[in-house]
Amino acid sequence: MKKKILLVEDEKALCLLYEEELSREGYDITAVTDAEAALAKLEKTAFDLIITDIRMPGKNGIELITQIMGLRKDIPIIINSAYQSYKEDFMTWAADAYVVKSSSLDELKAKIKQLLGE
Amino acid sequence: MIEKYSILSPDFERDAPRELMLLSIISQSFFQPFSLEDNLLVILTALTSGSGVGFNRAMLFLKQGDRLKGEMWLGPRSAEEAGLIWEVLSTPGIGYVEIVEHNRALVSKNEDTLSSRLKGLVYAAEDECALIPAYAACRKEILLVRQASSEPLVDRRFLNVIGVEEFLCIPLLARDDVVGEIILDNAITRTPISPADIKLAGICGLMAGNYIYSATLHRKLLDVEKMAVMGEMAMFVTHQIRNPIVAIGGFTDQLLKPDVPEEKKLRNLTIIRDEIQRLEDIIYQMGHFLKVSLKEPVYFDPGPSIASVIGSPEVQTKARGYALNVKLEPCLPEILCDPTSFGEIVRNLLDNAFDATPAGGTVSIRGYRKNSTAFVLSVRDTGRGMTNPDKDQLFRPFFTTKEKGMGLGLPFIKRVMDTCGGKIEVQSRVGKGALFKLIFFSREKELTP
Repeated sequence: MKKKILLVEDEKALCLLYEEELSREGYDITAVTDAEAALAKLEKTAFDLIITDIRMPGKNGIELITQIMGLRKDIPIIINSAYQSYKEDFMTWAADAYVVKSSSLDELKAKIKQLLGE
Repeated sequence: MIEKYSILSPDFERDAPRELMLLSIISQSFFQPFSLEDNLLVILTALTSGSGVGFNRAMLFLKQGDRLKGEMWLGPRSAEEAGLIWEVLSTPGIGYVEIVEHNRALVSKNEDTLSSRLKGLVYAAEDECALIPAYAACRKEILLVRQASSEPLVDRRFLNVIGVEEFLCIPLLARDDVVGEIILDNAITRTPISPADIKLAGICGLMAGNYIYSATLHRKLLDVEKMAVMGEMAMFVTHQIRNPIVAIGGFTDQLLKPDVPEEKKLRNLTIIRDEIQRLEDIIYQMGHFLKVSLKEPVYFDPGPSIASVIGSPEVQTKARGYALNVKLEPCLPEILCDPTSFGEIVRNLLDNAFDATPAGGTVSIRGYRKNSTAFVLSVRDTGRGMTNPDKDQLFRPFFTTKEKGMGLGLPFIKRVMDTCGGKIEVQSRVGKGALFKLIFFSREKELTP
């Protein structure tokens, strides 16, 4: 059974790239471009992992994480942001991992494997 | 019944006592959108014009760090020139702006004479043994010097520059600090300086000192704001640039793998090209925002500028599918702004209005007189409108609600409006569109016979 990953990323090109690259690794990817859409998906599907950006139009990634924690769904979360500086925001510590965006997806892939216990 | 009066009168009342006129001119420098130098020159003009206290010449020293440095002077070089200047300044209806324009012309003419010699004079600002003129600033005392050449306390280099026997030194004080000094003389008419002149010049000195102090504080505040903006910009650039770079890198890696289908190659190359285009746009816009140095505002007819922006191919293309209403009062007044920046402002406002409005909506641009000294340019759209938190952040650099925006258009407009002393008003509600009003200083065009 493929592990299900929810990807929240407002940049369409990055969405496409992550979707393709992570599908190739054998995951079932659901990509959405904002927090509201992510919360809607979470209600219907049991995901194994969430990857979210921070700066997005509407609700940002930190607000999304807070809401997910409120839902008491024990899903590992990876923050994937262009900003190194959000690491200092203690709210981001609630996530299980923080990966700064890079043109190589190796670090992201390694973190996914680790959090899924593979 | 209620009568309203403007705090800043557009021209100076001829019949007012000269003391009142002088104070009125100097107090206006606090409110005028001109540079510190322009405003200081107006203060010197007030002290030297026939309508002011009536000294012939005025020199200004400014404190820079622990030095007192000769900065500028104003006055005629000969009796003929004096007659001419005083005639211009006594013209009925002359206002602050006209004095600024007149001074700019005078200074460019005088650049070769006293100015360069005056600028060579530098004194320690706090020196127990200071010579005159620095003596007055160091002791915070007004000094009237007569028979200067036989007075050992007068610096000889200064005496050579000023070339008169009688002059008045007014220290410029703000709170308890010295910010500069003004030297006044009657080099042309040789009229003795009277006790009444000294009193009035002393009051002017206090006002001028406080003006310089507040202008300096304001400048420091702007520097602090600029640093904050730079920090925010660094953050923003990281994000804006990193995203396209990640996409370019990732899709290039895919291309480097063996057996990529032709279709996917083409798709990836298209994405890479688009992202590079985006990087170019970001770099262009950042450079533009940082580099644009605003020119001093001047009065000009905004009509042709507005018409040329509306008629431009970019705006006409964007306007397709919208109703664009243009309503300008006939015979527009002249407005105070930098003409090049004004064109960009109009373009920016229209761009935003079209971007915020779904196709089929209406964008209206209006130009009308608010009163005899203010002109309003307004742009209204029937678009999605804004929430209150969004409204509060509108003019912060890098704040944007557009998918592809940089958030530099409105901060640019604010910068231009600040430079020309104008105001911006924004009205908007979610779903109800937005109205941007820019209010400029204005004056009626002179009718040519």
